[in-house]
Amino acid sequence: MKKKVIVACGGAVATSTIAANKIVELCKENGIDVEICQIRISEIESNLEGTSLIVTTSKVKRDYGVPLITGMPFISGIGVEKTQAAILDVLKR
Amino acid sequence: MIWKELNESLIITNLKANDYTDVMKELGSVMIQEGYAKDSYIDALIEREQEYPTGLDIDGVGVAIPHTAVSHVKKHGIAIAVLDKPVTFFQMGTDDETVEVQVIFMLAVINANEHLDQLQTILKIIQDKNVLSDLMKTKDTKQIIKIIKDKECTL
Repeated sequence: MKKKVIVACGGAVATSTIAANKIVELCKENGIDVEICQIRISEIESNLEGTSLIVTTSKVKRDYGVPLITGMPFISGIGVEKTQAAILDVLKR
Repeated sequence: MIWKELNESLIITNLKANDYTDVMKELGSVMIQEGYAKDSYIDALIEREQEYPTGLDIDGVGVAIPHTAVSHVKKHGIAIAVLDKPVTFFQMGTDDETVEVQVIFMLAVINANEHLDQLQTILKIIQDKNVLSDLMKTKDTKQIIKIIKDKECTL
């Protein structure tokens, strides 16, 4: 089944594009069929339907009732493997 | 290869700034003067930085990648500044963690997907604290391009 992943940042311009690309690569390598929904943080709520995971590169304090993982390591390069493992853990459920 | 696309007129060394708003004004003005951004760019950078900070702590060395929504941008470009002394930025993804930043990569982004390779290359370059340290030591714009070129050739 196709998994929907929301990738969000402040403006849906730069950092979320990079994070989204990394997640697509990761899922391809692991045989996970994924649909990326790249949006602004403010648009998360109206796009929640069917979402398996939210990855953001900005601060989010709200609980959307969906697993949320910070995509910051994709930007800083620090802790990438741990983040990849956490993403796979959610998507392989 | 991003070093080939770097424009020396978008690089400032020894930039004097007291805080991050000074950085946005100084480097943002260069973006506007050189035709990369609209007049609204500076205010947009500052507002955006307040809400969604762009400071990164690369293993103890600070760098920031300020950028805005595409509506304030005219064409794709990268401006680089090395500050004469560090200023405080908030770290990306937080609202309470700060980082002292001395190297700035300001992005004018029109279509991130079209320039994805370039953005990823920039990130790989700034993820190397040795590159950041080298950039901080130089006061010559040509040297900045060379440091980036040398790093890029190892990727």
